[in-house]
Amino acid sequence: MSRRALIGQRSWLRLPSARIALVILAVVIFLSVFGSALAPQNPLTINANALFQGPSLHHLLGTDYLGRDVLSRLMAGTRLSVLTAFEAVGIGLVLGAPLGVAAVFLGRWFDFAVNRVSDALMTLPYIFFAVAVTAALGNGLVQAMSAVGILLAPGFFRVTRAATLEFASAQYVEAAELLGATKLHVIRVHVVRKVLPTIAVTTAMAAAGALLAVSFFTFLGIGVTPPAPTWGGVLSSDLDYLSQAPWAPFIPGALIAITVGALNALADAFRDRIGPGALPALDPVIKTHSTLTQSDREATDVRQTAA
Amino acid sequence: MVAFIDVELTGAAGAIAPRRRRARSIAAKLGGGLAVLIPVVVLSSFITYCLGALSNSNPAATILGQDAATPAAVAKLDRALGLDKPLVVQYWDWFTQAVQGHLGVSYFTQIPVSQSIAQRLPVDLSIALLAVVLAVLIGGTAGTVAAVKRGSWFDRGVTIACSVVSTLPAFVVGIILVVLFAVSAHLLPASGYTPPSAGIGPWLEHIILPALALALQVAADIARQLRTSLVSVLDQNYIVGARVRGLPYRRVLVRHALRNASGPALTILGNDFPIMLAGAVAAEVVFSLPGLGQLLLAAAEERDIPVVQGVLLVVATFVIVVNLVVNTLLAWLNRSADGVSA
Repeated sequence: MSRRALIGQRSWLRLPSARIALVILAVVIFLSVFGSALAPQNPLTINANALFQGPSLHHLLGTDYLGRDVLSRLMAGTRLSVLTAFEAVGIGLVLGAPLGVAAVFLGRWFDFAVNRVSDALMTLPYIFFAVAVTAALGNGLVQAMSAVGILLAPGFFRVTRAATLEFASAQYVEAAELLGATKLHVIRVHVVRKVLPTIAVTTAMAAAGALLAVSFFTFLGIGVTPPAPTWGGVLSSDLDYLSQAPWAPFIPGALIAITVGALNALADAFRDRIGPGALPALDPVIKTHSTLTQSDREATDVRQTAA
Repeated sequence: MVAFIDVELTGAAGAIAPRRRRARSIAAKLGGGLAVLIPVVVLSSFITYCLGALSNSNPAATILGQDAATPAAVAKLDRALGLDKPLVVQYWDWFTQAVQGHLGVSYFTQIPVSQSIAQRLPVDLSIALLAVVLAVLIGGTAGTVAAVKRGSWFDRGVTIACSVVSTLPAFVVGIILVVLFAVSAHLLPASGYTPPSAGIGPWLEHIILPALALALQVAADIARQLRTSLVSVLDQNYIVGARVRGLPYRRVLVRHALRNASGPALTILGNDFPIMLAGAVAAEVVFSLPGLGQLLLAAAEERDIPVVQGVLLVVATFVIVVNLVVNTLLAWLNRSADGVSA
């Protein structure tokens, strides 16, 4: 089989940006598994003779204010960032996506209730919510990121609901229902498979957001015990010594930006693959005007067809 | 309920003048909006309150300290703080007080929460407002020019710049700005805050860098969205028609195209506002500004629950208010379309 046939004409892998993004993400995931084992030096070793050194052969990315090797610290800090970002995206996906399908099929009141909870969650900025959660449940990155996961859920919910609404009113679903298909069959065969690409785009974007959140939390020092290396932690220690080493923050900054950029590129590639219009239009946070009446009308249409 | 109002409106519509009909249509939508808004306000404040109540710390014991926390003293203080009542009753007491502007007092400093918030809110408001202005100016201009000069080097430059900026979190942008303008060039102060009462010049000097750090990402989002919708609007027949009638291009662009294309960009602004508030916390840290984020972080560390609840409630209120403004603007932008269809 030729390589072209393997990848496929319409595959999202056709885009060079998607391939580069996949390579970057593979490296990041590899580092999150083996990073601390492969780190050239101990990320915690303090060397008073080598403070604020620029990149050199011995320290590829230089040293920080305690003479610790920056490359080793970033490699060892990868696992925490990636794992907690996964945690947040997982929570958001598991909470949001099934509810999005359920809201379309379980009736008007259920739909209204879940929509209002999702609206309410969207009014809470993630950093304030996460800090409040750590105040309530204990200061840990896992707690903070579970809060982020809960706030990612409305995004998954809205996208899934909108996509489900669109497919649930399609003619082939009507035909299947006339042939006596059960709701469960319709959801499994006709809706879920069609909604999955849309969810894939949202997942990639949510992962980018979660990664930004986790680096911000570690930057603020939420849920991190100081000597432990993290991406955001390296950045925040650089901030205190800008006059000695003004170039230092660019290294962890670039690492965060490249990883987030790779996830965005992947989301764009997925989006190109499923075509424009497959993603629902952007809704305002609180739907008080035309958006509400319109989607409600659509929802009613679907239910009338289903009944 | 919304559908009901709509039906009633259509029934009466034939008899009344279009202008009044339009006003009624907007009023009905605002009314329908309230039916959505009230549950949202109650739910988000309830979530806020429950976070405090969920706290596994025992507030009375924390306040009294280890030695004085005898069971009797704890029970007495619990009663004084109202913590012995059922959760829903506690929430209702807190919510009705909060609506009147009383957010309780800090467990530790005994300073009223609304007072400490009022002290710090101007800092974040200054940054956020200036950031919105900057984001609209930068993003709006870049998006419009990119759409008008579609395919030019400027258009491609805007697209690339937007992709790069959207990968950079506000705190990284903030640090880059500090390095560029404060550490290397000594043009602007790297930290601190002066209230506008001390002079507009110094005030602007202190908030321009943090505001720019927040604004860039939102500006990128606005530019991208505006470019997309403006490109599709500019291809519409009515734009061609307006130009054929000999209207000046600038007028067509502003009154015909931009008005119809700016809806999605406005929606982006509403959606991005919570992200901007998060960015404001980052900016507070990077530029050492005494804002709400610092208050919240300190309160969270010592589990000063009334402060945490108060800050979260105020922030959520701001998000809701901003989105109401955005929604009203959207309704105003769409007013002619509503008048025809309703």
